[in-house]
Amino acid sequence: MTKQEFIDGLRNGLAGYPQEDIDGRLAFYSEMIDDRMEEGLGEEEAVEELGPVEKVVEQIVSELPLPRLVKAKIQEKIEPGRRPGAWLIVLLVLGAPLWIPLLLAAFAVVLAAYIVIWAVTVAFWALWIVFIACALAGIAAGILLAVQRKPVQGLLLISAGIVLAGLSIFTFFACSAATKGAAFLTKKMALGIKSKLRRKEAA
Amino acid sequence: MDIQLKRGLLDVCVLAAIKDEESYGYRIIKDLRSCIELSESTLYTILKRLEAAGLLTVRSTEHEGRLRKYYRITDAGIKRIGEFREEWKEVVSIYRFVTKEELSDD
Repeated sequence: MTKQEFIDGLRNGLAGYPQEDIDGRLAFYSEMIDDRMEEGLGEEEAVEELGPVEKVVEQIVSELPLPRLVKAKIQEKIEPGRRPGAWLIVLLVLGAPLWIPLLLAAFAVVLAAYIVIWAVTVAFWALWIVFIACALAGIAAGILLAVQRKPVQGLLLISAGIVLAGLSIFTFFACSAATKGAAFLTKKMALGIKSKLRRKEAA
Repeated sequence: MDIQLKRGLLDVCVLAAIKDEESYGYRIIKDLRSCIELSESTLYTILKRLEAAGLLTVRSTEHEGRLRKYYRITDAGIKRIGEFREEWKEVVSIYRFVTKEELSDD
């Protein structure tokens, strides 16, 4: 891939995001490629060192703050017609019963997805806490029974407690895996929402 | 690593790379390679953040018939490195405390 192809790829991938961010990034990557070529790398090699262009776009998008993207999107929608025309305002007002609930619904869906993702994690941790609590209670009650001359029942309770303690260790691993998974999904979702803000025709 | 902690560390790393003399993007990446592998997009974000915070200044100069941006540390940037050294003493004492706790657990 040539330098020009890489820069064009970046420009396409970032279309629709704030122009200031795009210009700054493009100049930065262009300088990075030039500096590598000055060190003796060929053009293709220099571009290759930066990684595949899709990956670079993904990295940049994940670093741009969401509020900035949304603001740029709104400005882009309003600015082409210089001032928001009267018809746009009328449409917005008349359409309010339609678009406000739709917007709310979209937020609710995103929120629900986050809750579902994290509910699994919370459930696992709750299970872990229950196991530990039962293990401790079982062992404590067992010791109490044993002291009160009921050694058989006491021992039974203690061993049940130990089994539960063992189970809690397994659950702990499941918990940390679930937490990692949820964090990963949360990140992916944020990235997905951000890439939805891209300008469509540029794709 | 905790994301806030890592962000703070990277900021100081970049400041340290331009502490003695002004430098440019690719050279900063190369200089930091011995301690951390930084991607271009991360470096760009850090440089922007440091510039906005007034910890460094940027100037564009012609180099070999093209423009290259040079980054120079400000007094506030040098102060930030000094603060980091002080803060780090605290982190080290916390680290000692934590590891001592672990040793006595064994």
